[in-house]
Order: sequence, then structure tokens, then C-alpha cells
Amino acid sequence: MKRALLIVMALAGPAWAHKPSDAHLALAVDGDRVTGRLDIAIRDLDAAVGLDADGDGAITWGELQAAAPRIAMYVQDRVALAGDADLACPLALGDGALVDLSDGAYWALPVSARCASAPHELAVAYRLLFDIDAQHRGLVHVAGQTLIVRDATPVHAALGAATSIGSFVREGIWHIWMGLDHILFLTCLILPAVFQRRGKWAAADSLRDVTREVFEIVTAFTLAHSITLVISAIGLVQLPSRFVETAIALSVVAAAVNNLTRSVDARWAVAFALGLLHGFGFSAVLIDLGLPSRELIGALLGFNLGVELGQAAIVLVLLPMLYVIRRTLAYQTLLWAGSGTVALVAAIWSYQRCFI
Amino acid sequence: MFALGAIGLAGALTVASFVAPNRSAAAARTYLPSDARDVVARVPARDPREVAERAALAGSPDRVELAVELARADIQRARSLSDPRYLGRAQATLGRWWKLAEPPPDVLLLRATIEQSLHDFAAARADLDLLISRRPDDAQAHLTRAVVATVTADYPAARASCAAVARLAPPLIAAACQAPLDALAGHADDAYHTLAAALAAAPRDPSLRGWALSTLAELAIQRGDEAAADAHLREALALDPDDAYARAALADVMIERGDATEASALLAGYEQIDNLLVRRAIAEHRARGPEAAALAQRMHERIAAAAERGDRVHLREEAMFVLAVDGDAPRALAIARDNWQVQKELADARLFAAAAVAAGERDGAAPIVEWAARTGVHDARLERIWR
Repeated sequence: MKRALLIVMALAGPAWAHKPSDAHLALAVDGDRVTGRLDIAIRDLDAAVGLDADGDGAITWGELQAAAPRIAMYVQDRVALAGDADLACPLALGDGALVDLSDGAYWALPVSARCASAPHELAVAYRLLFDIDAQHRGLVHVAGQTLIVRDATPVHAALGAATSIGSFVREGIWHIWMGLDHILFLTCLILPAVFQRRGKWAAADSLRDVTREVFEIVTAFTLAHSITLVISAIGLVQLPSRFVETAIALSVVAAAVNNLTRSVDARWAVAFALGLLHGFGFSAVLIDLGLPSRELIGALLGFNLGVELGQAAIVLVLLPMLYVIRRTLAYQTLLWAGSGTVALVAAIWSYQRCFI
Repeated sequence: MFALGAIGLAGALTVASFVAPNRSAAAARTYLPSDARDVVARVPARDPREVAERAALAGSPDRVELAVELARADIQRARSLSDPRYLGRAQATLGRWWKLAEPPPDVLLLRATIEQSLHDFAAARADLDLLISRRPDDAQAHLTRAVVATVTADYPAARASCAAVARLAPPLIAAACQAPLDALAGHADDAYHTLAAALAAAPRDPSLRGWALSTLAELAIQRGDEAAADAHLREALALDPDDAYARAALADVMIERGDATEASALLAGYEQIDNLLVRRAIAEHRARGPEAAALAQRMHERIAAAAERGDRVHLREEAMFVLAVDGDAPRALAIARDNWQVQKELADARLFAAAAVAAGERDGAAPIVEWAARTGVHDARLERIWR
């Protein structure tokens, strides 16, 4: 024992396979309401409240569910929010679920709170786990900042003047730009727009015709995804995320293949039909962001507006470039090789999202 | 002009498709497993004795010997599972004594060990000095102090501690403590032969041999004998395939001689461990392997996750990655410079020099030139970089 310790401690550079312990508390403040989600590593919860009932080292979903009330008590005991003048915003916890972060499974607990008045500053008292793990950190994400909590001292987040609608617009733009599948889908629809069928396919003559066609495509896509975004966000229809993600990837395949086969001329119809699917994808993001129930319409409008702005920016960059090069070999290369590659990649995604 | 733009766009789309494979449009999504028997996480199986000890400590929180035993078990666990989370647990177990200016000696040793692991070398050194003033014959304290002093380039202190180790510990440990210091002072040949002889004469204790072999390999590298280093590291890995230190060093030898594909294969399946992930990302990048983009993405995520919690303990790995994969030499140089403020091992010096040369700012590596002149160190790799 003594000797083993002697050696392992002598190596200066230990090799770490995991992050140290973090928990994430993501909050959105909307008027006097706070909503969000607390993600705590399952392994940390085991140390805190004891999940592994049979002690075999494997924590099962059943063991976790059985411990859910104890977890809720633990969190209620150790997390508190307060608004202006340090008036408490009593915390309510929803039903937990699992979420996979980069270093394993976390317990995702929806949180909500109501303050006495719309706060200008939010005080977060966070005391999870510090007594068990001195290197634990609580990462509080609120109003575009991340506050690192290192001990039981409360942290304060200035909420600033940015309206929550503004933040949803931003999220919408980001979602379009970061979600490669939407960009690829849109690009595939727009690529052939500088060619038109008049008897046979030929380069379009006027920028006006091209612009009109692209406008039709984008409007159809927007209309379609707005419809499904709304009916899904208000809970009328909800589809399993694996299905939606797979279908979105397949829609990218379809749009790319259509460029190769030219089987459907009315690309606005393709845009509309497949746009319906993308709306379900958008709504899942919105729900993950923590949808405020009172400002639902504002959030929906804001997020959708952001999506449209993000889209418009892509179109504005892409279209003039395509128009200028429409008669060149480079354009043909881009159309064929680009669509072919996208079809292939999106097919791989479809397979991964469905089966892996 | 526009043709180039179009080809560029096609290329960018293609690259983007592979850079973010299966990155679904939404952020991390929650789910509910369908089967109550699904395993959602794994932890070490419960040790009844430890449970009893924790209960006893909770009942009488002043029993330092219990806290020390529990903390020591967690430090061992942190090492064997490569999971730093258990360091934080050990620290919390010692919480009652953690902030004392003069805690009991056993607590001092563990506190220094945890501080060293968190790269708080100044605090570790202060604790070890205090411990040694109270327990001059603590071999472990001297050995850890030698390591900490070497990392912070306080070679006289390291020598003093290794001299104490020579008095208190078996000859192989003494030789493995002393040899790197001799090599750093410019006597790599003698150091290599002395340690090799000690290894040949030592009893066959696998954990001890693995450590000594890795140290010996590092001396071989300094002498420019990469083939000998290769052989020593393979022997260490044969003794213990989970020796991440030896695996990383062997991968470095392979990458150094241009066998990036071989290095990537050596590291495949070990990407959980940061030191090995960064090397596999570099190897795949050099070999233009199929996983290059995915590994780079993973490494970016790890760096971002560490930064998010305010950690800067992985500066060395970050600088390696930024230099070799991102190809951003000026940024790598800035990180390598920050890293040199924290730790000053030969690996850090090579990295600093390589970044400075790549950035075309040899003057930027002045601290390395000064350090090399002051120590008298000769290192074949450093000289190759500098030439």
C-alpha cells in the first residue's frame, strides 16, 4: 500500500479522462417569471443522495426514478433564487429526465420560479455538492452570461435591458447558422434557381425571375415551418425527436437528389412539404430553451423572426454569387458535385440519427 | 475569381458536412429510457468498509485518521480511474483541516498531492516544506517535493529532496529521482547509464519498473536515441497497458519520427484520456486520417468545457493542439508562454520553442534560451526544433 502510493503520486502529469464535476443551471427571465433547467451529473447525485440502491456500481433508470423525490428535496434545499431587494422567487421543480452531455448522463430538472416583481438582478444561491466535492462548480447560464459558482456564496446576475424577445430572435438566428442541416437544405433549394426551364434547362436571363423564384421558395419554406413550429410549440402535435431529426436529414437528401434528377420542377412545393418537418425541429429547440408560457407568442414570433433573418442572410450572400457564375463550369461543378456530396452526407446523418 | 469562390464554397460545404457529423440541429435533448433496467451511469461499486468509515466520520468529524484514510482512497481512485472528480471529493473529506495553516502531517501530504494535481505548485511546495520541517524522514514528502521543485525549475531544492530520497527509499526510486536532474544539468549520458543499471539491479516490481522505464525513455530521447526510447516505452506498456504516461510518450516518439498512422492506431480507443486524445487528434491530422475532423471537434469541446468552468490546467495540451491541428502558431505561442509560467519541464520547453519557431518569432522563446543556458541542458529534440 505504502509503496504503491509512493509511485503513483510521484508522476507529475496525471492523465485525466473526465472533466471535474460541473452542474449547469440555465435560466431565462421573462418579466417576473424565471424558467430553465438544472443539469446534474448522475455520478454526482449518487454521491449526494445515494442512487445505487444495490451498490453494484451500475445505476439503472429504475434506481434513478426511485430517487427522484430525494433529488428534488436535495435541490429544493440547496438552490434558491431571489429578485430585487433580495425577495425570494420560490422555486418549483418539474419532472426530471435524462440528458447526455459530453462526459456522461445528467439528470435534467426543469425549474421555474415567480418573483414578486420583474427583477433587474437575479441572485442565485447555489449550494449543491460543495460539501462532497470541493472542486465542484455550478455554472449558471443566464442573460447571455455564465457565472461560475465555487462555494455557497450567492452570485448575482444583472439582467440588463435586453428584452426576452430580443434573445429569442438571437437564438433563432444562431439556430439557423449553427444547424448545418437547415443551411444545406436551403442551399440545395437555391442552387438551381439561377437555371430555368424554357423547353430545356438554361441559365436564367434576368435577375428578377431568379429573385422571384427564390422568394417563392423561401416564403413556402417559412410558411410551412412556421405552421408546424406553432402547432408543436403550443402542444397541439408533438413528434418524437429521433423521428424528426431523421426526417430532417432525409429532407436534405431529398432536396439534394432533386437537384440531380430534376424530377420536381416546383421547388416551392418541395420547400413547403419538407419545411413542415423543419418546423418540428425548431420547436424542439424552442422548448429546450425554456419556453415562457406567458410570453409564448412573443417568444414564438421572436424565434421565428430570428430564423427568417438567419435565412435571409444566407440567401443574400448566396444568390448574387450564384447569379454571376451561372454560365460557368464552376457553377455546374458546384451544382452536381455539391448536391451529390450533400445527398451522401445527409444520407449518412439519416442513418446515424435513426439507428445509432 | 468567381469560379474560385464557387469551388471554395463547395469545398467549405463538404468540409462543414464532415466537421459536424450528426450534430443535430438542436442542443442536447432530454429523453426518458424505456426500460427501468437500463444502466444510465457507472460508479465504483460500493465498498462496505468505506461506507462504515464515512458514517463513523460523520458521527465524529474530528477523527483525522479516518478522514485521511478516506481521502487517500479517493486520491488513489482519481489516479486509477483517471477521474479528477475524486480529487475534489478527497479535498472535501479533508475540508475541516483544509484551510488550517498547520494541519496534521498526514493532511499536509494529501493536501500537497491534491494541490500538485491541480497545478497549484506554489501551495504544494509550501505544504511540503512545512511537512518536511516536521517530518524530515518522510520519503513520500521528499519525492513529491522533488517532482514539484523540478516542475517549477527549482533544481537545488529538487536535488536536496532527491538526496533525502536516496537515504530513505529503495535504490531504483532514488535513481529515478536523481537521473532526470543530472540530465537536465547536461549529463544525460551518465544519467541514462546510471538509471539503466539501477533498473537492471532492481527487484521486479511492475509499478516501479513502469515508472522507471518511462523516465529512462525520456533520458534516451534527450540523448537523441529515439529507438531506445521506443523500446523502453513498449516494455513499460507491456507491463501495464493502462499506463497512459508511457502510451503518450510512445505516441510522441512515433509522431516525432513521422509514423503518424502508427501513433493513431496506438491511441485508438484511449480518447477518453485528455493526454491521449490530444495526441490522437494530432496524429490523425498529420496522417490525414478519416477521424481527424471528429477528433479535432472533440478536443475543441474539451478545451471549451474546461474554459467554461474557469480551469486552465490543460495549457500544455491546449498549446500542443492549437499548434499542430489548428495551425495557429501565434496563439499556440501565447498559450505556451502562459504554460511556461506554470510548469517548466522539458516537454514545456520544446513546445514553447516549437511554437516560437512556427510563429517566426524566435525572440519570443527567449525564456527558453535563457533557461537552457542556465541549466546546461542538452536535448536532441529541442535542438532539432531550434535548428
